[in-house]
Amino acid sequence: FMGRYNDDFDDGEDIAEFDDNDFAEFEDVSEDPAVDVEKEPPPRAAPSSTPIEDDEDEATVENEDGQDEFEDADAQDQDMYSKYDNEEFEGYEKTNPSFKDTLIYREVPAHLQNSWESYYMEILMVTGLLAYIMNYIIGKNKNSRLAQAWFNSHRELLESNFALVGDDGTSKEATSTGKLNQENEHIYNLWCSGRVCCEGMLIQLKFLKRQDLLNVLARMMRPACDQVQVKVTLNDEDMDTFVFAVGSRKAMARLQKEMQDLCEFCGDKPKSGAKYGIPESLAILSEMGEVTDGVMDNKMVHYLTSHADKIESIHFSDQFSGPKVMQEEGQPLKLPETKKTLLFTFNVPGMGNTSPKDMDILLPLMNMVIYSIDKVKKLRLNREGKQKADRNRARVEENFLKQTHTQRQEAAQTRREEKKRAEKERIMNEEDPDRQRRLEEAAQRREQKKLEKKQMKMKQIKVKAM
Amino acid sequence: MTANNMADPRRPSKIFRYKPPNTETNPTLEDPTPDYMNLLGMVFSMCGLMLKLKWCAWIAVYCSFISFANSRSSEDTKQMMSSFMLSISAVVMSYLQNPQPMSPPW
Repeated sequence: FMGRYNDDFDDGEDIAEFDDNDFAEFEDVSEDPAVDVEKEPPPRAAPSSTPIEDDEDEATVENEDGQDEFEDADAQDQDMYSKYDNEEFEGYEKTNPSFKDTLIYREVPAHLQNSWESYYMEILMVTGLLAYIMNYIIGKNKNSRLAQAWFNSHRELLESNFALVGDDGTSKEATSTGKLNQENEHIYNLWCSGRVCCEGMLIQLKFLKRQDLLNVLARMMRPACDQVQVKVTLNDEDMDTFVFAVGSRKAMARLQKEMQDLCEFCGDKPKSGAKYGIPESLAILSEMGEVTDGVMDNKMVHYLTSHADKIESIHFSDQFSGPKVMQEEGQPLKLPETKKTLLFTFNVPGMGNTSPKDMDILLPLMNMVIYSIDKVKKLRLNREGKQKADRNRARVEENFLKQTHTQRQEAAQTRREEKKRAEKERIMNEEDPDRQRRLEEAAQRREQKKLEKKQMKMKQIKVKAM
Repeated sequence: MTANNMADPRRPSKIFRYKPPNTETNPTLEDPTPDYMNLLGMVFSMCGLMLKLKWCAWIAVYCSFISFANSRSSEDTKQMMSSFMLSISAVVMSYLQNPQPMSPPW
């Protein structure tokens, strides 16, 4: 029985000798089944339980040459130590033998990988930027070609009508530059001047923002079209006093709300022009019937009818001051400056899908503009019409003055107070005490005079009332 | 002679020079997009730099591109270039500090 307490023995042949009857009473009755059971854990546990049990028995168990040795070791162990009790493995989960299970490949987190694929967001971003740049170049070129095509087709007409075609305002001499001003990648200007019946004409080619990818995408939701805006400014003698507009119904409704003069002078809702023969898609805003009769002659009606799809709005006004400006609080209102103007807004057909060839289609519209300039010069209201127009203008001015009365009073009050304060400061700053005294006296006398004047006025009013 | 004058509407004596419209009195005429985008771009670059957020820096780059595309010819190129450089530096700094790829928000 030395062997029983001898940890070092590992001789399998000695097993039988240790079935000692002396210690039979200490042995488990259920040894045999226990043996079988206990045989199992070690082989399984052996490879993975090495960290758990650090005995020499482990050393024998670790030897993986074959099952035989395990079994031998088992027999020894059981008899000697009953080490591999089932209870010992209670908390320990028996993992299935790895021989039958498939290996699970855990994914390495993206940031620990070292491949380009993990940077897919960055690649996406850069691709987006490249797409934006490509679109910028393509859009810019397209707009530039459209502008040039427009100018080429209209150049002859303009040069035969205006002495100055193309001016950017910077050169010393007033010579025609003969080319468009580029304001933006999508807006081109052309200033023409030197003609009878007008001061000058500013043409703005307002193309779509083809150079901005965001805008291109937005336009896929909400289609829009290129526009050509013509603004003719006139001298006083070139136009009589009237306000008139014709255009698509939507445009007329919008302009009536937005434009200062249309709002004040053309109070009625936009009317249909069917009685003159123009299509139903167009509506008219007019100061008075006589004006409409005067403007809508045969040629004008012909122009409007044949190009109704391209006309957004036509606005003739002697009181043009632009859109209504939002007045800020505390700023005294001044009657906005007006200028006699003819405004034309044309839509380029194609809803954005225009090609340079389409620019020729707009040529008749420019003819209409020239015709209108000459016509407006000749259009004069009769006596009745003139009186009505004058009354309208007087009315508008009066309304304006009434509205701003309180504001102007306040402004005058503040100005007076400012003056007083400045005066007092001057007196204070005066170093010479004599002069100081004299200035003070002068100020006092002025105050006195003012007070007396006021009193006189009040007395007069009282007398009148009586 | 007179017939010629009447037929030809041009009058060199009646030439007026071009005056660019005064946008101070009429602010509705101006397109605010390039200015907004410029400001947005700068705000995003600052966020990207300070808070070390990569996506902020990328959006800043986009904003400065959009601002450039919508800008007027009369505008200062220095302003455009400075906002552009700022956004590029925001992107570069974010990656130098943290070379991990950007994770999508979903």
